[in-house]
Amino acid sequence: MSKKTRAKTWFLVHSWLALPIWFFLLIVCVTGTLAVVSQEIVWLANPDIRASQPNDDAQPLSYGQVLAAIHKERPELAVEWLATPDESHFALTAQVSEPGGGTYRLYINPYSGAIQGVSPTFDFSAFTRALHGWWLVPFTNGYSWGWYLVSLLGLPMLVSLITGLVVYKRFWKGFFTPRLRFNQGARIFWGDFHRLSGIWSIWFIAVISITGTWFLIEALLSDLHISISTEGPPAFVSRQEIALTADGLAPPQLGLDQITSIAAAQIPGLDISFISMPEDAFSHYSVGGRGWYPLMYQTAEINPYTGAVAGANLLQDRSALEFVTESMRPLHTGDFGGIWIKLIWFFFGLVLSMMVLSGLLIWSKRTVQATANLAKRTQRVRPDAAATLTPASEVQP
Amino acid sequence: MNKAITAPRRQPALHRLWQKYRFHLNILLVLIPLGFMPAYLQNAAMFRGTLGLGERDIGEFTVGPWSARVAEWHIGDPEAEGQAGNMKEFTVALCERCLPQVKAAYLRIGKPRSLRTAGALLSGSPYRLMAEVVVPRNTTAASELWLTVEGWDGSVHQTAIPLATASPSLVSWLERQPGARP
Repeated sequence: MSKKTRAKTWFLVHSWLALPIWFFLLIVCVTGTLAVVSQEIVWLANPDIRASQPNDDAQPLSYGQVLAAIHKERPELAVEWLATPDESHFALTAQVSEPGGGTYRLYINPYSGAIQGVSPTFDFSAFTRALHGWWLVPFTNGYSWGWYLVSLLGLPMLVSLITGLVVYKRFWKGFFTPRLRFNQGARIFWGDFHRLSGIWSIWFIAVISITGTWFLIEALLSDLHISISTEGPPAFVSRQEIALTADGLAPPQLGLDQITSIAAAQIPGLDISFISMPEDAFSHYSVGGRGWYPLMYQTAEINPYTGAVAGANLLQDRSALEFVTESMRPLHTGDFGGIWIKLIWFFFGLVLSMMVLSGLLIWSKRTVQATANLAKRTQRVRPDAAATLTPASEVQP
Repeated sequence: MNKAITAPRRQPALHRLWQKYRFHLNILLVLIPLGFMPAYLQNAAMFRGTLGLGERDIGEFTVGPWSARVAEWHIGDPEAEGQAGNMKEFTVALCERCLPQVKAAYLRIGKPRSLRTAGALLSGSPYRLMAEVVVPRNTTAASELWLTVEGWDGSVHQTAIPLATASPSLVSWLERQPGARP
């Protein structure tokens, strides 16, 4: 194969890569883009989840004060966990359940403890994530096959990036001489757009396709029951540690503020942004939050009767491999550094969606013709080589 | 690569079909979430608890001085969880007045020999406790689901629910297993 033909073949591979499933890929990109800012969309739509500081001196309540405020207003509710959002303009979230089994979240004002609202029946954030992440296919036995379907797209996306850079001769020049020709027809415009947005999105396409491929590996590992976790089995309060009571009622447990101050005193570097209540008589309080490395969470388990720290999963306990694998999800979703990082992810998500669309537009105007031409030419040169051109359309998954 | 090259030549009909219908893959792929939408919304409602304790209510059972409502979380086959074996989820709501008196509750398929082997510990919200119960290899349609409840006063009470009542879908799965006894 001549150098020119090889270049053309690369080009055809790039052109045909995601084509038979271009619309599927486009919808996955668009839903992913929406999922990045889904919480912000809910924030705009629903005033209940906003939290504004009443005045500059107002201090947020402690978890113990928040729990007391909830019980004062709704004594029948069982609170399962409390979480402080990453961004201070969001209300505190409390997962609660009521007699009869209803389970939902409450939006709590972090300064007054007032219940501002109840999570709506249709959870927009969860829906966009489920649509983007597993195409709504239920998890019945292990990972959903929808998860595999979506995460498999990481591979053609990665190959698109590589072949795109191979066929775009001296692409780095595009950084210095950006070109977007508006007045020479749609084919030229979309071609310029595809190349220009492509080179500026190299980092983003690499991040999304690599982390997307990790989701595929993660599912495979889980379904093959292979664990790479260094976290030990969950600790339980032993039977001997819990005395039976004379009155036949549950023994008192430590309050939330005692738990958080024990955690803060005994585990330096643990920044607490959520606390979960013990789920039964033998389990612990769980507290956690981000550490110095913003992409990962740290957690600690604290005995509700004695206050002893029963276990912790801190940054220093993680293996080097876990630093890589646990960073994958936040890198994919962009939810590790507040609103600005989310907005960058959202912007490049839009650009990536437009890459799929512009790629299709270029293809529809050019590739059909190019394929026919190349096939004809090679057939003239070497009749049996014509067959090597057909597989270009077979490369896509 | 060679295989892919020669394949279309050997099966021209299949190749033609691919050429003609490859873009229809998009339609099929986009129809998938639409098809699963009702199941997704129902599942979300299940977790919210608006459809009851579980997908199928088993009934209310007396356990010593207390009572408990028991439900099957999902109707269907148990989940195969590798070395842990096959698992089936059940939910339990203890009566409200017994909540302060009850230390723990457990579920097991087959009669527990002691409190130490009472089975899966029910945990979660006190209004909807949940447990994943192992389906032991020797389980038959005649087996029973045992609910053990332990009080803070040290008392232990039990009740047995025939598997045919607790989960007809599990019984039907058992009957489909190789070597199942009639």
